[in-house]
Amino acid sequence: MVDQLPNLGREAEMLEAMGMTSIDDLFTDIPEHVRRSEPLDLPPPQTEEEILREARMLLGMNISVDSRPSFLGAGLYSNYVPTMVPMLATRGEFLTAYTPYQPEVSQGMLQAMWEFQTMVSELVGLPVSNVSMYDASTAAAEALTCAVRVHGRKASQKSTIYVSELIPPHRMSVIHNYTQGAEIVVKTLPHNDDGMIDLTAVGAAEGACAVYVEQPNSFGLLDPGLCELKPIIGENTALIVGVQPVSLGLVAPPGDYGADIVVGEGQPFGIGPTAGGPIYGLFACSEAYIRQMPGRIVGLSKDSDGERAFTLTLSTREQHIRRHRATSNICSNETLIALMGAMHMALLGPGGLEKLAQRNAGACSATKSALLALDEVELVHPNGSHFNEFAIRLPRPAADLLSFLDDECDITGGLDLSQWWPERENELLVCATDQIDIEDIEELAEGIQDWLEGYE
Amino acid sequence: MSDLFAFNGSQDAGYAQPDPISDEFAIPAALQRSKLPRWPRASEPEIVRHYTWLSTRSHGIDSGFYPLGSCTMKHNPRVNERIVQMPGMNDLHALSPASHLQGMMAIFHEMQEMLAHCAGMDTVTLQPVAGAQGEFTAMRCVQEYHRDIGQENRDKVIVPDSAHGTNPASAAMCGYEIIEIPSLDNGRLDLDALRAVVGDDTAAMMITNPSTLGLFEPEIAEAAEIVHEAGGQMYYDGANFNAILGKTNPGLMGFDAVHYNLHKTFSQPHGGGGPGAGPIGVKAHLSDYLPSPLVIAEEDEEGETWFDWYEPPKTIGKVQQWHGNSGATVRAWAFYRRYGRDLEKMSEHAVLNANYLRHRIMNPSKEVRDSIHAMPCDGAPADVVKHEFTLSMTPVKDATGVTGKDIAKRLLDFGYMAPTLYFPMIVPECLMFEPTETESKEAIDQFADDFLHILTEDPELVKTAPHDTPVKRVDEVWAARNLILRHPCDDE
Repeated sequence: MVDQLPNLGREAEMLEAMGMTSIDDLFTDIPEHVRRSEPLDLPPPQTEEEILREARMLLGMNISVDSRPSFLGAGLYSNYVPTMVPMLATRGEFLTAYTPYQPEVSQGMLQAMWEFQTMVSELVGLPVSNVSMYDASTAAAEALTCAVRVHGRKASQKSTIYVSELIPPHRMSVIHNYTQGAEIVVKTLPHNDDGMIDLTAVGAAEGACAVYVEQPNSFGLLDPGLCELKPIIGENTALIVGVQPVSLGLVAPPGDYGADIVVGEGQPFGIGPTAGGPIYGLFACSEAYIRQMPGRIVGLSKDSDGERAFTLTLSTREQHIRRHRATSNICSNETLIALMGAMHMALLGPGGLEKLAQRNAGACSATKSALLALDEVELVHPNGSHFNEFAIRLPRPAADLLSFLDDECDITGGLDLSQWWPERENELLVCATDQIDIEDIEELAEGIQDWLEGYE
Repeated sequence: MSDLFAFNGSQDAGYAQPDPISDEFAIPAALQRSKLPRWPRASEPEIVRHYTWLSTRSHGIDSGFYPLGSCTMKHNPRVNERIVQMPGMNDLHALSPASHLQGMMAIFHEMQEMLAHCAGMDTVTLQPVAGAQGEFTAMRCVQEYHRDIGQENRDKVIVPDSAHGTNPASAAMCGYEIIEIPSLDNGRLDLDALRAVVGDDTAAMMITNPSTLGLFEPEIAEAAEIVHEAGGQMYYDGANFNAILGKTNPGLMGFDAVHYNLHKTFSQPHGGGGPGAGPIGVKAHLSDYLPSPLVIAEEDEEGETWFDWYEPPKTIGKVQQWHGNSGATVRAWAFYRRYGRDLEKMSEHAVLNANYLRHRIMNPSKEVRDSIHAMPCDGAPADVVKHEFTLSMTPVKDATGVTGKDIAKRLLDFGYMAPTLYFPMIVPECLMFEPTETESKEAIDQFADDFLHILTEDPELVKTAPHDTPVKRVDEVWAARNLILRHPCDDE
């Protein structure tokens, strides 16, 4: 028996008021030849209690990254979300609202998103942020198409963008899907063996519409060379930088070194890795890009009494007005997760952000030192500064080590880099966030040592 | 008025954290941050009060009736929120080995099967995270399919003029040229207009059924035949799937691909704008192009079910970087389990409530009728509507100068969210109502009475509405002219 329908058992009364006798009278407009002949072949309805029990059983089968030492990052990061955040964000006025099309009764969410825009803007060093994209990859892809719309006409390399060759293949795939329709040519920027961008090759991007790089990059490397890019590529080529936002507690905001658009994965602020979704993409830009940017934006305004009020603005970029000429098809975004991010950022404050970044950098550094002390383990990029992540080279395939750590030590060891780049079979991407403690690192080092010895 | 950036505590007034486990890290000199962001300096008690205050200035389904047409603002069962907060959900990593994700993959697999069954499709992917992304993903699959069979010349997508704005926007993002066809005077699909534009350059037609007028397109199978004969594909915008579940399905109507809005039909909370989820289902000939990975079920040596990832052989790759909005998938799973095979009842009640509300508004008592300045008229003629319906306020505007927008704003004073305003664009002064299945008869009666009452009110009162909301009518033009998009954070 379904318990979600207030008018169950009252159908006759309502039908009678309309001069009808049966529910079927409401479906006479569906022609016979397209009607289902059989009822839905689905299980019987369940009660809340039964569903909860089954959910507990199914989710209980999963092995979470919080239940054991986990060194898996690669774009999704184990974190701690203060209890306040989910409790407040699930207040019904936030949780069960639609996009704030009626600003007079949506001031709360609008103000919260305006504050979110402000905090993101402060974090990345650019004046404008939108209310969120789906994730880091769609944010990067839409930043690139946005840059092509802004620079396409003047660019000497028409519809051409340059992307770091080190961005993860799944992000590259999203970028391909989002850019192929506009016939955008995607070229890659090479890196040196030390993992840093090859500055001698960046000149090729001059006259293109955009350059996309990440800080830290896929190997966790902080690359000071990115500060040199903007003067090389010039004013008419957008510098787009993808960030791990927690790093910005210690690392210079890309706006300070010439980025025109900053994107990134907001997830570490506000929500756990949550199997990859819902998370949210950050998108911030300089003023020149505002009218071509995707997504919702909240602006300050005033009401008819002259009182301060907020509203969605620049809607004429959007699909519900501009249809096929819209800057993006995005409609639903990730507002509630961005709200959780805003709450988390607000509670951290400037000092909390700095400390969180220090904890991540410290955990990464301590893990790196412990693993380097092992014979036969070497850093893939020994001279670099890392944040969160670093790659190690092993004498045997990383996949084998990961199985060993999983089966014998109850440790999630990281990412086997051959999953991204087949030639990197012996390389492991190790991530340590603020959730890693000294004991976790010791267990990992011991586990790797045991594995190494097992092969001798 | 609470201002987040006015809190003036210490730099680390927020939550206390453990100390770093090492301070032996170095940021390259050129990359060191010189000035921390000017974030709030506030403690938990202050932040909690701030956001609680903000919540009192927002309106959700929990606050009151929310008849926002096309958006399906139904009740969100609370157990679903409890489930996604349980261990084994928020704390899962998408790249963990399949052996760590078996419970999640079991839910994914069940949802793939359930959604395919409900829509009459062969294969479902859960990866797209919004309806618009579902549209985009499906059109990418169609595009690759056509390239694969040597028909890359098919570069046009047909949409009716009543379509959601995302349809043409999504197809355009794939690189398609958009052909918009006009609706008939009665709001229905014009088959002659369709015949006039289909051809060997037609890639697909995108359409929602019931249409955005809330009307079932009686000639949908014929439309599919016309498009298929020209070699095009039929795309079903599932935004209105809520109306027909269990009665018919897109497969029976002749569609090749469909997206589902888990945040509409399956009750994922809208969250003030998202997250949603927009899985897509396709017929077998498009299955090989779906984004990767899908979940498949296998049997191990002991006969136990084992779930694994599967990459379709001609996959378009990724549209979201992980497995879509898993949290939305899990909530939708819990929602569908609540109904099971009775999902048909959900659609019946959505349609019952919409027709009842329409009847109540359009048939006032004589006493009320006599005091109304002018009655609205149907956006399109119909004996029955599906889950939503449109009314044109043109007669009201002609009689009193009160616009659809004015009425929408006045409804806010009564504690209601306004219906969808000025969409679809083919209905002048349009208001679109969708009560959903989770509103009681009493709530609908009260809303109808209040709506009719507004039509009796002094036009000046309505034109200057709202009056009893946290702020008065907001000046959207001023916002767009001045573009104040962030707090100045001035140090004072």
